[in-house]
Amino acid sequence: MTGKILRKPQAVIGLLMMLAVMIAVIYAPHLAPNDPNKVNIMIKFAEPSQQYPLGTDDMGRCIASRLIYGARISMSIALPTIAAIAVISVLLATVCAYIGGIVDKMFVIISNIFMALPPFLVAMTLVGIFESKALSIVVSIVIAMWVWNAQVVRTYVLREKSKPYIITCRMSGCSEIRIIMKHIIPNIFPHLLVLYSTGLSGVIIMISSYAFLGMGLETGTAEWGAMLVNANKLIFSHPELILYPGLCILFAAAGFNLFGEALRDICDPREG
Amino acid sequence: MLKAENITKRYGFQTAVDDISITISDDSVTVIVGESGSGKSTLARMLSYIERPDTGRILLDGTSIGRRTAKATRRNVQLVMQDAASSLDPHQTAEQVLDEPLKLLLKMGRPQRRERISELTDMVHFPRDRLKNKVSELSGGQQKRLCIARALAAEPQHIIFDESFSGLDVTLRKQILSMLKELRKKLHISFLIITHDLDTAMYMADRIYVMRFGKVIETLERPTSFLDLKEDYSKELVKAAEYKRQALYI
Repeated sequence: MTGKILRKPQAVIGLLMMLAVMIAVIYAPHLAPNDPNKVNIMIKFAEPSQQYPLGTDDMGRCIASRLIYGARISMSIALPTIAAIAVISVLLATVCAYIGGIVDKMFVIISNIFMALPPFLVAMTLVGIFESKALSIVVSIVIAMWVWNAQVVRTYVLREKSKPYIITCRMSGCSEIRIIMKHIIPNIFPHLLVLYSTGLSGVIIMISSYAFLGMGLETGTAEWGAMLVNANKLIFSHPELILYPGLCILFAAAGFNLFGEALRDICDPREG
Repeated sequence: MLKAENITKRYGFQTAVDDISITISDDSVTVIVGESGSGKSTLARMLSYIERPDTGRILLDGTSIGRRTAKATRRNVQLVMQDAASSLDPHQTAEQVLDEPLKLLLKMGRPQRRERISELTDMVHFPRDRLKNKVSELSGGQQKRLCIARALAAEPQHIIFDESFSGLDVTLRKQILSMLKELRKKLHISFLIITHDLDTAMYMADRIYVMRFGKVIETLERPTSFLDLKEDYSKELVKAAEYKRQALYI
């Protein structure tokens, strides 16, 4: 598996990009040259220098440090969110699609109700339900997005369930649980990888969009979306302030997308 | 003995199998022939307990298979499907395919299973060095042999082959049919072969059932020649097979 990943340039590039983001997440205090929240109005809009590699923002805060810490905050919300979406959607969709009949019909009806509501609207309605802003964001995105992912997983399971090898599994004595766990899920796993890795990039963008709409984390937090909002008013005088966090979001999202797509090609023997 | 008594299966308004009674004796080869849509595969699926008949019953050694657990039925009746490639999980290795029935149906321990897998591969002439390969990496012939070995792994009394030899080239089909003849003599199991190929039927059968529109229209015991078939439809089938043969040789 490792060999196959290393032989595929798309996977290597995606992996390196993901690693860069994860290194920033884990080693932010060691990598950041300055305190990301230290305000020094005297040096606002400072040019890039050895002390401030990307210069400073309108409050005199180190942009590079804020971008590095921004990765930590964005990922600490995005990863649990996508993990919760994955668990809920895989569990519900797989069981309902596999059982079929009335259970699957009920699932489809409930899904259709949820899907009739635009995810962003659901998220905006629910974003204030908890005192903790981060928890509110996680819960609201999970409630808004699980159904879209579950519908995709259901399609994969239905397709897999109708394949002749499922009959062979029954003939070999497999129980229904074993068929789901040992045959269906491993076969749809490459597709799930792509779904959730691309989903992760979607969540990163969604979190940033919340901040952009003023519903995200507290103003001034070193988070990519919040940095975009702050820079909004300076787009003509200091466009680099909006460019840096935008590029970070693009970089993280592209890294997860590239790696997910490459993994699907590697894991799926029909495509490999 | 596997016996179907007056079984009927309908899909909506379509009757796939219409009040059929057939017997598959122990240690024999029964062949069902008929054109596409005659209900052969539906019958095979009911006999292998994948589908339930709407009416009638299927008896295995005198007991209705509805009264047995699914596992007990699988121990005695196995099915080999038409397309070997799609009837095997593409993520499993050949070894895992053979390991599953030994573990789940026969409850064998790991050392026993390993030994039995070697025996099974030798039985069907499957190369041992390909056991660690994913099934999607095997050739068509190897996949077919693996499907047969998997069915044999359960040590069943009856194996049903549902169009399992169509799509194979002539040489490979001959090899596999000869191998099955040998295996039957050695293991004393019975085969039910579903086919539309009369040559296969004549080469293998102790008894032939001819099916049309979900019904058995003729039964032939110990066939020696196509001339033994009496029904008009059966003669038409023979004629069609003759045309096919001539077309191939011209």
